[in-house]
Amino acid sequence: MQPLMNQPITRRQALRQTAVGFGGLALMDLLARVGASDDATQPLAVHPAKAKRVIFLFMKGGPSHMDTFDYKPQLQKDDGKELPFDKPRVTFAATGKLLKSPWKFTPQGECGLPVSELFPHVGKLADELCVLNSLHGTNSAHGGALLKLHTGSDNFVRPSMGSWVLYGLGTENQNLPGFITICPTLAHGGVKNWGSSFLPAQCQGVPLGVASRPSADAEVKYVRNSRWSTEAQRAQIDLLNQLNQRHQQQAPFESSLEARIQSFELAFGMQTRIPDIQDLSQETAETLSLYGLDDPITEDFGRQCLLARKFAEQGVRFIQVTHSDTKVQWDQHSDLKAGHEKNAKEVDRPIAGLLTDLKRRGLLEDTLVLWGGEFGRTPVAQGTNGRDHNPEGFTMWMAGAGVKGGLRYGATDEYGYYAVENKMHIHDLHATLLHLMGLNHERLTYRYSGRDFRLTDVAGKVHQGILA
Amino acid sequence: MELSPRRGISWRLIWLSGVMIAALAPLSGTSRVAAAEKVDFQSQVAPILAQHCVGCHYPGHSEGDISLATFADLSANEYVIPGDPDGSYLLELVTSVDGKPPAMPQEKPPLSADDLAVLRQWIAQGADWPEGLVVREKSKADASLWSLQPLQVTEGGSIDHFIEQKLTEHHLAPNEEADRRTLIRRATFDLLGLPPTPEEVEAFVKDADPQAYEKLIERLLASPHYGERWGRHWLDVVRYADSNGLDENIAHGNAWRYRDYVIAAFNGDKPFDQFLVEQLAGDLLPAEDEPQRHEQLIATGMLTMGPKVLAEADKDKLQMDIIDEQIDTVGKAALGLTLGCARCHDHKFDPITTDDYYALAGIFKSTRTMESLTTIAKWNENEIATAEQVAARDAHLATVAAKKQEIDDQVATETARLKEAGTELTDKPETQFSPEVQAALKSAREELATLEKATPELPTAMGVIEGEMTNVQVHIGGSHLSLADEVGRGVPEVLRQVSHEAIPSDQSGRLEMARWMTSPEHPLTARVMVNRIWRWHFGRGLVATTDNFGILGEAPTHPQLLDWLAAQFIAEGWSVKQMHRLMMTSHTYRQASGDTAEESLAGSERDPDNQLWWRQNVKRLEAEAIRDAVLSVSGRLDKTMGGSHLHVANRAFLFNHTSKDDTSYTSRQRSVYLPVIRNHLFDGFALFDYADASTPNGNRPTSTVATQALYALNSDLFLEAAEHLAIRISQEADTEARLRLACHLAWGRAPSDEEQKLFTQFLENFPQEDSSVEKIEQQAEPALVALCQMILASNEFIYVR
Repeated sequence: MQPLMNQPITRRQALRQTAVGFGGLALMDLLARVGASDDATQPLAVHPAKAKRVIFLFMKGGPSHMDTFDYKPQLQKDDGKELPFDKPRVTFAATGKLLKSPWKFTPQGECGLPVSELFPHVGKLADELCVLNSLHGTNSAHGGALLKLHTGSDNFVRPSMGSWVLYGLGTENQNLPGFITICPTLAHGGVKNWGSSFLPAQCQGVPLGVASRPSADAEVKYVRNSRWSTEAQRAQIDLLNQLNQRHQQQAPFESSLEARIQSFELAFGMQTRIPDIQDLSQETAETLSLYGLDDPITEDFGRQCLLARKFAEQGVRFIQVTHSDTKVQWDQHSDLKAGHEKNAKEVDRPIAGLLTDLKRRGLLEDTLVLWGGEFGRTPVAQGTNGRDHNPEGFTMWMAGAGVKGGLRYGATDEYGYYAVENKMHIHDLHATLLHLMGLNHERLTYRYSGRDFRLTDVAGKVHQGILA
Repeated sequence: MELSPRRGISWRLIWLSGVMIAALAPLSGTSRVAAAEKVDFQSQVAPILAQHCVGCHYPGHSEGDISLATFADLSANEYVIPGDPDGSYLLELVTSVDGKPPAMPQEKPPLSADDLAVLRQWIAQGADWPEGLVVREKSKADASLWSLQPLQVTEGGSIDHFIEQKLTEHHLAPNEEADRRTLIRRATFDLLGLPPTPEEVEAFVKDADPQAYEKLIERLLASPHYGERWGRHWLDVVRYADSNGLDENIAHGNAWRYRDYVIAAFNGDKPFDQFLVEQLAGDLLPAEDEPQRHEQLIATGMLTMGPKVLAEADKDKLQMDIIDEQIDTVGKAALGLTLGCARCHDHKFDPITTDDYYALAGIFKSTRTMESLTTIAKWNENEIATAEQVAARDAHLATVAAKKQEIDDQVATETARLKEAGTELTDKPETQFSPEVQAALKSAREELATLEKATPELPTAMGVIEGEMTNVQVHIGGSHLSLADEVGRGVPEVLRQVSHEAIPSDQSGRLEMARWMTSPEHPLTARVMVNRIWRWHFGRGLVATTDNFGILGEAPTHPQLLDWLAAQFIAEGWSVKQMHRLMMTSHTYRQASGDTAEESLAGSERDPDNQLWWRQNVKRLEAEAIRDAVLSVSGRLDKTMGGSHLHVANRAFLFNHTSKDDTSYTSRQRSVYLPVIRNHLFDGFALFDYADASTPNGNRPTSTVATQALYALNSDLFLEAAEHLAIRISQEADTEARLRLACHLAWGRAPSDEEQKLFTQFLENFPQEDSSVEKIEQQAEPALVALCQMILASNEFIYVR
C-alpha cells in the first residue's frame, strides 16, 4: 500500500509530502544526489565541487572597505579635497569631502595583500583570503541592502541564500537543521533574511539566539522542556506513537500522517543533540583561547565562531554568524575611528581563530567562508569623522573551499567609491557562491505562482577569476 | 553613469511570434537575401531577434548586460557597427567557428545560414533600424487562454453530476457518505475553525430529522465564528498584516479595522462583488450614512497594507514599487493573474503587455496611497471619526484653549501689576512674580499638560483616496530612469471586451476598474473566487494554482464544474454562504475520506492524488485552527470578537536597530485577532505554514517538520493547554470517565477499549517527575497532564478526516 511510489515523485512532491525534518529524510538526500531539479527528467543542476558548506560571517551595518581590505593610497593623499567625480544620483545621507583612512595598511603574507591594522590577526592569514574589492549592490538603506544580500531581492519576499543552498543540496546530517543562523538580527528584514519564503519549510534557517542577547544564552526555540523529564517525554512519545498508528489505519492515504509520526522521534533526538553541540566544556583551553573566549571583548563573537565550527563538523550545510549589537554595529556615520576600532577588536581574533581551526582540522578544504556586510562606506566624510552607506562599491572576502587564496580581485576607483574593475553585483556573488557549492544558479529554480524563481532572479554571472 | 531618459521618442512596438516567422518561411526556400535587395528590418531582421535573442536580452535584464531590443542597446557596445559586418560583434557571437557551436544563442538551436546572411547584409547595408522601434518577445498565450473565455454553462448540472461523470469515465465511484461524527467534525472545522462540542456531536448523531445535516450547516453559517474563519481565508489572499515588515518593521496600528470589516462582511454574507468594489474603491462609493461611509473607507485598507521599503532612498522607485505591489496583489487576489510580471517586459506567458501594466499603474499612481515618501515613508490614513467623536474632541480642545488663555491672562495681569509697581522687568519676568502666583502658574501649567495629553485622538483607518490624476509612461525594463510613451489609464486590452466605463479624466479609474472586475461578463473574477472556496473546503482547487489562472497555472480538472459554480455564484447574487450550502451539501463533500474498503483501493490505485474526488481529502488543521482548537478543548479560548491587540502605537517600531522583540501574543482570543507581524510571526503561525503575509496566498502548503513536533512537546501553548484540559476533566469522578471526556472533547468520540487500556498503562507507568525540573503550579495529576498533552498532539486531533 504505497500508492505514491507508483507515481514518479517530483522533488517538490517529495519535499512537500514526505520530508520530515530539516530536509533530513534519506529521500531528500537521494534526490539531492540526483540533482536539484523539480522534474526528474530535467538536466542536473549539480556539478562536482569542493565546497560542501558555507560559513557566512555577517558584519551588520556596513564595514568600511577603505579602512579594512581595500587600500586606497590616493585617498590618503587627497584627504579633505572634493571628490573629483559625481556622487550617485541617490545617496542615503549628505556627505562632504574626501576623508582618508585613520589606519595604516601593510602588505601581509606571502601574497602581500594590504590589510589595515584593524585586522592584525586576520591579516596574518592573508594567503587564505580571496578579497573581493568590487562588490556592488542596489540599495543604500540597511533594510533593503540586508534583504538584497540575503535573498537577492530588496522589494519582494524571496527565499534566503541559505535556503536555496539547502534546497539544492539537501543536508548532510539528518538529525540537525541544515541551515543555522547564530545570533541573527531581528531588524532590517529580520526573519526574511533566513526565511524560506515559497521554498519548502524545512529549508528555512533555524535561529540560535538573537543579536541583542549574549551568545552564551543562545537557544533554539522549543528545544527545552520546562515540565517533563526525558524519561517522561519518552513515555509520552511512545503513547503518541501508538495513538497515531491506530489513527493511521483510518486514513491510509495521507502520507503526511506517517511523516508526522517520524517528526516526533526526530524532535526528541534534537532536544539532546543541539544542547550537546553548544556545550563547549570538551574544548581545550588552547582552542577556547584561539577563538578569544578568554577575553571579555572577543568572548561573545568568539563563541559564535566556535559554534560555527562545531556545526560545520556536524555537517550543517549553511551556517551564518552575525556580528551585531543593540545598535547597528558597523554603521559609523560618525566617530569612524572609535566605532570601527571597537568592532574590529571584537571580531578579528575570533575570525582568525575560526580560519586557523578550520584549516588545522582539514575543514577549510570543503568549507567556504564568506565575510562582509550589507554594503561598504563612502570615501567622503559624513559630518567630520564619519562615513555614509555605500552600495556602489565595497568589499567582501571568501576563504577556503574552491577559491584562490592571497588574491585581490576586482577594484574600486582610486578613492573606493564605485566598483570599476571585475564588478561583482550581489547577484554575481550569489551565482558564484552557488557555483562554488556545485549548483548552477540558472538551473536551481523553484516554480511558484506560475514562475520559475531563482536566487539570482534573471541576472548573475559566475566570476571565474576567483575559482581555485 | 546614468541612463538617459528617452522621453518623447515615438515608441512603436512590434510583436513577433512563431506564426509570423512561419509566414515568412517560404521566402527562405529561395534566397531571402538577393544581393542587391534592401533588407527590410521589420519583416526580416526583427523576427530573427525576436525568436532567438530578446527572450533573454531585453532592457533591464542584465543577462550579459546586453539588450537586443533597441538599436541604442545594440550600437552602444559595438555589437553592431553599421556598414561593417566583420567588425560587428553580434555576428561573431552567433556564427559557428571551426565546427564548434556558436556562443549564442545558449541552449537553443543556432541561427540558420539564411538568418546569418540576413543579419550580415542588414549590417552591411547600414543596419537601418526604424527609430524608436522595440523588438519584443511575444507572450506564449494569447486571448484564447481558457480562463479568458466566457463561462460555458451546462444546464441542469450539479456538483455530484460533474464529479461522478468523470469518475465513471475512469471506472471509479465515489465513496460512501462519511459517518455523522466525522461529518460534524469536518463541517465545524471547515466553517468555524473550531471543534464541535461533545454535546453538539451527540445531538447531531442522534438527530432523526432527515434534514439534520442541512440544519447543521445552517447553524454553523449563522455562527459569528464563521466570519472569523472565512474572513481569515480572505486575509491570506490580501496579505493582511499588522506591521510593514521588509526594511522598517513598524506597526500598522489601524489595520485591525480592516480585519474586523472583513470578518463582518463574511458574517453578513456581503455580496462578493460589492465586497471587492468596496476594497478597491470604497472611498468613491456613495454612502447612505456615516457608518457606511466609514466602512467603505476602511475597506480600501486592502490597497494600503502591502509591505513597503519605507526607507528607500530613491523616492521614484519607492512609489513605483508600491504601485507594483498593489497591481500584483489585486491581479492575483481578484483575477488570478500575475500582472506584476509585465512591469519590465510583456508578460512572457500570459497576454498582458507592458502597456496594460502601465495603464493600471496610472490608476494607482492617481490614487493617494502614501501620505509622505520622506524616510520613513508614511502610508495614508483616512479619518473615520463620528460626529460625536469630533464634537468631543473639539470640546476638549476648547477646554485646553481656555486653560491656556487663563494662564496667559494671569501672566499678563501679573506682569502689568509688576510694571505698575515700577519693578524693573528682567527677561524672565515670571521669576519676579510672588511665590504664590508662581505656584499657581506651575499647577495651572501642569493641569494644561495633562489636559493636552488627554486630547482624544480621532480614529483613522489605513486606506486610499483619490490623488493627483496622471497617466504613466512605459518604464523600459521596469526602470523609472528609462521612460517611453505615456499610456492612458485603463484595463488590460485582452479583457476589454468585458463591458466597462471610460475613466473620466478627473478620476483615478479605480471605481471603473472595480466595476469592470465585478461585471457578470468578467471571465475571471467569479471563477477565481468559487475556486478559492472550493480549495478551502476540499484542500485543493479545481484549478490547483488558486492565485494563477494564467498559462503557467494548472488547467482546471473539471472545467464544466468550475464554470457551472461560477455561474451559480453570479446568479445567486455573489453570495459566498450560498456557495457553502451548494458545496457542503453535495455528496462529493460528504463522502468518506477513504479506508481500506474495496472502492477505496480501486481509487487509490487509479487516482492516488484524488484528482477526481473519489474521496474526501484528509486535511491538517491550519495554524490558527490548531491554536484555537487547543485553547478551546482546554476550556481557555476567549471568544471575544474584534479589536486591536497591538500594544505599540501606530507606526511605532516592532523591531528597530536593537533587535528588541516588541511583539506580544498573550491574548487568548481567537488566532485571527493575534497581531500578524511580518518578519516575526507568532511561532505557532510560522511553524504551521501560516500565509507569508507579504504576498497573496490562497493555497497554503502543508509541511511536516520536526520543529512542529518540538512545539507540540515543549511550547507553553501545549503545556498549559494540557494542564487545563487535565483540570477540566478532573471534575469527573473516576479515571475512566475523565479519559472518556478528554476523548469526546478532543476527538468527538469515546475511546475504544484498547485505547482505555493504553491510557491506563500509561498512567500507571508514568515516571516520577524529576525533582530538578522546574515545576509550574500544579493542579492536576502530572500523569494525566502528560496524557492530555499527547491527546492534543495526536494526529486525530490535528487532522480532519
